[in-house]
Amino acid sequence: MSTQTRTGRSNPVSLALESPLEWASTISVFRWLAYSGLGVLTVSYLAVLQEITITVGGTRSLSVLVIAMFVGAVVFAHTIHPRTALAVALGAGALGFWYYFEVTGYGIGVIFSEFDTLISDTVTLATGMSIQQMAEAGTWTLGFAPAPVFLSWYLAVRRRYALAVVPGGAALLFLVLTTDATIGVTLVGVVGGIATVGFGELDRRDGSIAQADVLAILFAVIVFLSMTVTLVPGGAASPTVLVDDDADTLDGTIDSNPDETGISGSVDLSPEVHFTVVSDEPSYWRTAVYDRYTGDSWLRTGPEGEYDEGVLEAPPGQTQTMNQTITIESQQNVLPTAAQPTAIGGDITADLEVTDHGQPMPEGTLIEGDTYNVESAVLDADPAELNDAGTDYGEDVEEYYLQTPEDMSGAFEDRTAEIVEEAGAETPYEKAAAIEQYFNAEYDYSLEVDRPDGNVANDFLLEMDEGYCVYFATAMTQMLRAEEVPARYVTGYTSGQQVDDHEHVVRGLDAHAWVEVYFPDHGWVAFEPTPSSERDDTHDDRLEEAREDGEDGIDTEESEDVPVDGEDEDAPDFLEEEDPDALLDGPHNESDPDLEDNESTDNETQAGEEHAGQEGLLEGENDTDGSEGEVDDSELETDDEGLSLPVSPGDLLVGTALFLGLAAGAHRSGVTGLVGREARLYWQGFDTDPDTDTQRAYERLEHLLARQYRSRRRGESPRQYLESISKYGSVDPRVRRVTALYEQATYGGGLDRDEADEAVSLVTGLARERVPLLGRFWR
Amino acid sequence: MTDANPSSQPNSLETIDPLPLSSVTDLATAIHSNVTQVIVGHEAEVEHVVTALLARGHILLDDVPGVGKTMLARSIARSIDCSFQRVQFTPDLLPSDITGVNVFNQKTREFEFQSGPVFANIVLGDEINRAPPKTQSALLEAMEEQQVTVDGETRPLPDPFVVIATQNAIEPNRTYDLPFAEVDRFMKKLSLGYPTPAEESEMLGRTVGHHPIERLESVTDLESVIRAREAVANIAVEPPVRTYASNLAHYTREHAKIGASPRGSIALLRAAQARAALDNREYVIPDDIQHEAPHVLSHRIKTSSSRDDDGGTVVADALERVRVP
Repeated sequence: MSTQTRTGRSNPVSLALESPLEWASTISVFRWLAYSGLGVLTVSYLAVLQEITITVGGTRSLSVLVIAMFVGAVVFAHTIHPRTALAVALGAGALGFWYYFEVTGYGIGVIFSEFDTLISDTVTLATGMSIQQMAEAGTWTLGFAPAPVFLSWYLAVRRRYALAVVPGGAALLFLVLTTDATIGVTLVGVVGGIATVGFGELDRRDGSIAQADVLAILFAVIVFLSMTVTLVPGGAASPTVLVDDDADTLDGTIDSNPDETGISGSVDLSPEVHFTVVSDEPSYWRTAVYDRYTGDSWLRTGPEGEYDEGVLEAPPGQTQTMNQTITIESQQNVLPTAAQPTAIGGDITADLEVTDHGQPMPEGTLIEGDTYNVESAVLDADPAELNDAGTDYGEDVEEYYLQTPEDMSGAFEDRTAEIVEEAGAETPYEKAAAIEQYFNAEYDYSLEVDRPDGNVANDFLLEMDEGYCVYFATAMTQMLRAEEVPARYVTGYTSGQQVDDHEHVVRGLDAHAWVEVYFPDHGWVAFEPTPSSERDDTHDDRLEEAREDGEDGIDTEESEDVPVDGEDEDAPDFLEEEDPDALLDGPHNESDPDLEDNESTDNETQAGEEHAGQEGLLEGENDTDGSEGEVDDSELETDDEGLSLPVSPGDLLVGTALFLGLAAGAHRSGVTGLVGREARLYWQGFDTDPDTDTQRAYERLEHLLARQYRSRRRGESPRQYLESISKYGSVDPRVRRVTALYEQATYGGGLDRDEADEAVSLVTGLARERVPLLGRFWR
Repeated sequence: MTDANPSSQPNSLETIDPLPLSSVTDLATAIHSNVTQVIVGHEAEVEHVVTALLARGHILLDDVPGVGKTMLARSIARSIDCSFQRVQFTPDLLPSDITGVNVFNQKTREFEFQSGPVFANIVLGDEINRAPPKTQSALLEAMEEQQVTVDGETRPLPDPFVVIATQNAIEPNRTYDLPFAEVDRFMKKLSLGYPTPAEESEMLGRTVGHHPIERLESVTDLESVIRAREAVANIAVEPPVRTYASNLAHYTREHAKIGASPRGSIALLRAAQARAALDNREYVIPDDIQHEAPHVLSHRIKTSSSRDDDGGTVVADALERVRVP
């Protein structure tokens, strides 16, 4: 009783509590449609959150929480006061964030002690930092999701549709601002929100379905606008998600964005020179480090700081110092250095940032002519030492570098374990070497790859047998993590084409991705899973082709005269001389020598070949690797590729919305009617009964006459009409005849078949004679 | 009713042999041309009267005095070889002056019914709006049921029975408005209007000597009229036309305080049938309806304003707005 009284007072439209079935049967189609719209909106932002939790874990707790909030909202919609509902929603959100702060170790006190930081972090998020880059992002979603879900459904059940869209819309907007919501998802969410308000209004005002065509037009306009205009911050890359068939360049794919890197399908190689290096020894030039894997892209988490002297730490293990001077030859967003850099010199240091992983990167863009010096501490540990390094990684390393997405299959882990077991590997170092060896031996190098739909690492290991560096490195990193070995995905360039004793030219086609594995007390050691010799060949061919075509920007003065194959000639020597070192220096300054030794021991001669390949690769890569740094956008593009499959659900939805909108617009503007009439003008259609045929024939005649004179007015009889148009000039006797037949058919009790056929053929003749140009053939 | 007065329906449907359609047309033309010997101009109005006659309707002529209302009624009556009575309505006229009374016959010592002027084929009610409503209503039963009841006894009226009433549009202080129910019983309300100068000159030329009505001969007989009426009643009205008529009536109901009654739609269709017969056509077309509607429907419509021509405006709107099938 008291419940009902309260309900009645707080909301006049609320229904008395009845059984759910009874209640469901009383609500209109429009209300169901409005609920569906809100459902779509809700799903849109929850899908974004789920994407995060799939990457970092916590999908189950998020689902449970969301369902609980939804059920709670629906059940208590009519029994609690709006203010109570608001309090419940905010309370649930607050509880979630409190839990988040507890989990992240800041404690709830951080709200008061570092309020400024929180605000600035929020601003950072809202201006384009992905939530996926946050610490404990999964837990964060637990704080974020409850309030909008609860509030929007609470309001929707109370038929406050416009208000109901606000919390959901705000949630979606926030995710758009953090760039986590893709354009496709945003579009779907917006359409859902509009459907909610539109159908909701129809429900509240007892509208008719005929009025819904306005909604359909609106949808189409929105879909169209969103495909042509983008306001999403940071999303300037590609507003079009539908068609994206262009292959990326390898360098663009790898090195476009220091925060995130996608995984593409087929890629091209850019022979353009990116930078030149004067260095004691060749090395892999690292540009970015990624720790979080989403299944189709790599993210860099953690904050970045200003570069100061001493910020860059040398690895804990024994190191050798290596100096490089790098000169930028074409515009770059990254700062190639040999790992692990400890000091940067040059004018550009004023605008340097340093990531949590110790990788420096320019705040802006480096342009041609920028030069800087790097002092790197190259790890100098032998395999035996690494083998004995143990597994005492520490909490921080385990938290960041053992992450795998939730959708990684058990088969992936099983296969990894199998490979490791077959090689007899037990220590982390042996495991890494085994996996590296496995890929070198079993896989082919190819730039022509169909990007898998699902988890790339998973599919690459289980279903594919060829790929390029991105695939190899991604798969190996995940395999190591599956084996509880901390690993990370790094990108950069191979050493490049050697043009002088100490000088290398690095081109776009030298862009590369490889793996770093963490060893306690030593640091990060580079591993090279990509089959090197095949890679060299491919990339050399590309450079030769470019040279033959006379492309610009592919050579410096020094490299012009150096033949593509020349390096290969040099390479063997180089290998012979310092094969282990070279390899180490190449992929991993820190620990490559050890690795190589280890491999050579484990894998007999293959490791040596690999090294040789790698070095050749390094040099050859200069020639043919893709250009890094040129394309910041490619990540976004590659992300979008998930949506740009031939027919994705998103496409279908967008297509359907467009189609419905166009159809409704055509209907509203009478285009369909026009087309139909036009068609019927020249073709009577199938015979029915004589009277109907005659009437149809007369309708056609009227359209003909309307075109020639004017249409028949509402209150005008056929006879009056005929009389009226005959004032314009003599009327064809056939027109009079058809009018008479029509009168007979309609008012006079009907015609026989012959008369009806006469009317039809007369009108058809009249119509065809009036066809522009062709009509004369009918006379 | 049928039981009480079997004779009130003297001609059941089977017994009447409908006139061939062409003969109906000829008959109507004959009456029309005969009447126009007397009535100069007003061709359309004469035609309306003839169609009303064939469509079993009564006519109300509404106009200023002296434009020939009575003459029109008389010439119609004279054109048909039938009984004709005229009642001059005055403020002191009693209902029994119209219907007749039972008079005690001293010789037979019985009451005898002295039939009133209403017992005639054509009854001219002159200046009908000068009598009080009570007297006017004496015509009601006669017009609708074609019978009169005096002292509890119901007597049938002759067939055909046509009332042509005239009413005076001036002198509103000395007249009574016709009850709406009675107005509704007239199939058409016509207004003659003044003749054009040429017509008036022509009329004057005809009437300086003997009035032409004195020489007017009948051109047809009762039986022909009855058979012609039967033929008109058989004119086909197909569903699209019926729908059109009802749409028109419906429109007037939606756009006036009181719209056309169902009796009005029936009258409209009957008039249209007669119009089709005049055109020698076996079925009604919308043009017939459009032709008849202004005269058949206008006087049945009351708008919130009191101007007389409002009904006409509503009907004109209806004809313009309602879709012709």
